[in-house]
Amino acid sequence: MRWLTRALHSTEGAKKMSNAPVKPGQEDMTFGDIVWGQFKKNYFAYGALWLLGVMFFLAVFSPIIASGRAFIWTENGVTHYPWLNSLFDDNYYENGVDKFFNLLLVFGVPLLLAWLGVSRFVYGGLTKRVRRLKIRRLAGILTLVFMATFAWVMMTSQGHKNAYNYDDYLAAQDAGKDVSAIFAPVQMMYTKQKLRDKLQSPSFTADCAEQGRDADVCEDYILGTDSLGRSVAVRMLYGIRISLSVGVIAVGIYVTIGIIIGAFAGFFRGRVDMFIQRLIEIFMAVPTLIVLMVVVSFIDEPSIFHIMLAIGLLRWTGVARLVRGEFLRLRNLDFVTSAIALGYSTRRVIFQHILPNALGPVLVAAAFGVAAAILIESSLSFLGLGDINIPSWGQMLRDGYLTQKMHLILIPGLGIFVTVTLLNLVGEGLRDALDPKMRK
Amino acid sequence: MLTYALKRILLMIPTFFAISVLVFLLLNLGAGRPGGSELSGEGSQNAEKGDNRESYRIFKEQFNLDKPILFNSRYDLTREDVEATLLEVLNLDDSVSLEAQIEAQDRIEDWGLYAIPGLVECLKNAEKVEVRAKASERLTINAQERLVIKYSDDKAVKKTQKALNRETAAKNRAIKPWFFSVGDTEGKTEADVQSFWADWWAENQSRWVYDTSDKIAIFFTDTRFAKYWGNLLRLDFGISHVDKKPVLQTLLSKLKYSITLAVSSVFLIYLISLPLGIFSAVRRNTIADKVVTVILFMLYSLPSFFVAVILLNTVTSGDWDFFPNLGFTSPNADELTTVELLFDILWHITLPILCMTYGGLAALSRYARTGLLDVIESDYIRTARAKGLPEGIVIIKHAARNGMIPIITLMATLLPALIGGSVIIEVIFQIPGMGSYVFTSITQYDYNAVMAVLLISCVLTLIGMLLADLSYALVDPRITFD
Repeated sequence: MRWLTRALHSTEGAKKMSNAPVKPGQEDMTFGDIVWGQFKKNYFAYGALWLLGVMFFLAVFSPIIASGRAFIWTENGVTHYPWLNSLFDDNYYENGVDKFFNLLLVFGVPLLLAWLGVSRFVYGGLTKRVRRLKIRRLAGILTLVFMATFAWVMMTSQGHKNAYNYDDYLAAQDAGKDVSAIFAPVQMMYTKQKLRDKLQSPSFTADCAEQGRDADVCEDYILGTDSLGRSVAVRMLYGIRISLSVGVIAVGIYVTIGIIIGAFAGFFRGRVDMFIQRLIEIFMAVPTLIVLMVVVSFIDEPSIFHIMLAIGLLRWTGVARLVRGEFLRLRNLDFVTSAIALGYSTRRVIFQHILPNALGPVLVAAAFGVAAAILIESSLSFLGLGDINIPSWGQMLRDGYLTQKMHLILIPGLGIFVTVTLLNLVGEGLRDALDPKMRK
Repeated sequence: MLTYALKRILLMIPTFFAISVLVFLLLNLGAGRPGGSELSGEGSQNAEKGDNRESYRIFKEQFNLDKPILFNSRYDLTREDVEATLLEVLNLDDSVSLEAQIEAQDRIEDWGLYAIPGLVECLKNAEKVEVRAKASERLTINAQERLVIKYSDDKAVKKTQKALNRETAAKNRAIKPWFFSVGDTEGKTEADVQSFWADWWAENQSRWVYDTSDKIAIFFTDTRFAKYWGNLLRLDFGISHVDKKPVLQTLLSKLKYSITLAVSSVFLIYLISLPLGIFSAVRRNTIADKVVTVILFMLYSLPSFFVAVILLNTVTSGDWDFFPNLGFTSPNADELTTVELLFDILWHITLPILCMTYGGLAALSRYARTGLLDVIESDYIRTARAKGLPEGIVIIKHAARNGMIPIITLMATLLPALIGGSVIIEVIFQIPGMGSYVFTSITQYDYNAVMAVLLISCVLTLIGMLLADLSYALVDPRITFD
């Protein structure tokens, strides 16, 4: 009951506040609120952020849109749920990225919705600042719970024997069995090969019917098929998962490294700074793409996580330099001096007092960095050096390059182009929003 | 200024050293081994078939692959180490996996002469007869002296080298038959072998007595890295194990293609983006400015390999066959006159240069625009306008000259980036430059070639960064380094 009394109490407080001359809501405008307000005024950037959100939801909901397994399969009165089983099946979704997104689908989305509802209900009456603190703590706990579940799923997931695929359904019906099933709108997985249907043009183009064995087969593939007869549309859909996760995880790694190293250099100055600057110089001089090619080709079976890790370990120099510069500037300001004078620990001064003020430029660099990481990953897959088991857009483009099929070049290429453009737009918008000169 | 430049150049030496350590470790700790894993595996499995194994051993010696990577502590090898490895190789009780067996075989082979004292001890004192037999067999291989592989050009030196080789070969031949195998009655008996190696050891023992300075020397210098650096100081990047030619020579012949591409696209980027930037700055916030900005922004986000593949499939074949689809020159380039050759090259590199240029335009013209905007608000521009100068002169002569200063210095960083970044374009258009060379070298595990390309582009980048810093001071008198 403690939270309830506190909530009631603070609602009273808020009512009292409203009598004060300060307008409600204005009283604790944080820096984040100002930047967000500025960002929303930039229609292009705001729209781009929305579209990226749509892409993220498409990535999460991919198995609902396209999956070979039946949602519900009833045979002789016995009901199975093969789709749910397939989500964490090692033989169906082979790579970790897919499992991560599937977990988001099954647990993450309900958790998110529950959290949104709970936070509105529980924290509704609190002041903004307190609410933000509470929400942050709750989000941290939920993330931990989520990651623990992910680890558990990764360790315990295993294959199921029975396949309830669309082909099985058709075969069962032909055999006159008593089977009814509900499937996703697209009854195909990105791994499903059908060599007879290879290199089909998209169904909306004129030469589709000429190429296809018959119109029905052609209609199955909205965006055609690749050189192994896999549906391009489904691969594009699942490719969103790969691109987004490569960008976010690689950038997450190097932003973390860059912040820590840059903060040390800027805070301690002197010899530490000297040493770190040399380190930055070393990593800047190394040509990223070539070293990545070396790393990826020297690993026996490169997975997408190797690529993320390699990008993350190589490209932190930019962030480190930014953070170092910000720290050098902020280090001499009064609030840092007073924090040190208050006897706070160095860790607290660095991470709680200076760092929040230095994060602006890092955020901009991260937005552009995600775009760059996606480009690097697709370059590597285009050169044939990546993980061959994932539906990467770069690999599809390579397929188009080798087979000279225009639909296999244009569709994945445009996918990369659109994603990179959206991310760059968000980056530009963030930069303008953070720039006090641009404020209207 | 001069002291600053000197200081930076001196600092570049340790930086370069650190980079070389990093890159060297990266290449040598990788899973793939030059010479192909199939050679190694096959060689180990058919250890008895001598020939293959022998050529693999010589290959390893030639490329110093038998040496440890950074530090060498093999002077400390004891009988226990050697005996354990021999047991792994023999796999008497079938407890060792095939990989471990191959690995042990490689290990004892790589130890070379350093394993001799341990092997002699094993031969004398090991409990199992199989181990003693294996030790005698290893002794006949490991105790062999190295021959001079590459003769000197100097005739007198070559003569002594040849004489030395003959002598060493005779010694090696003398050692070769002195092993015994278990259950083999026709070969040499164990007693004979034992007495031979006992005599041999008594005669040669002094060679394996190391004092501290010897140990330090071995620890640091008898390693892959030290050998590589020793060669590097003579500007010798080693030979490629694919075509057995010096890497540097190949690289220099490739460099001209990459430099042609890089220099001409940098030139084009500046030629187009400076006027564009000035135009956007003068007409700032008009529709024209916004259109230019949006188009450049889209170009900036367009992946160059995507554009390259589209171009390859549209304008090089079919109805629009305007450009050749691959190569730097036509196949009949030898028959062309100089002018024709020039046009031929130009015709071939148009598409690659297009792909390398358009992306850089956006960033640079953006810099040019902001650079000019900073200047255009300043007092001296107002003065220039006030005294009645025409707008064109104000912009070109007064504003642009100052506003473009930061752009010029970007050139120093653009050039190495383009040389490193042209890998994909060169691969797609099959231009035999540095980019496609490094790509094929990586896929063939050609360490020396990859290492050379990485080091050279690192040096170029370091020099580029130095030039960028120096050029700030050169073009802007307000900046000094003293």
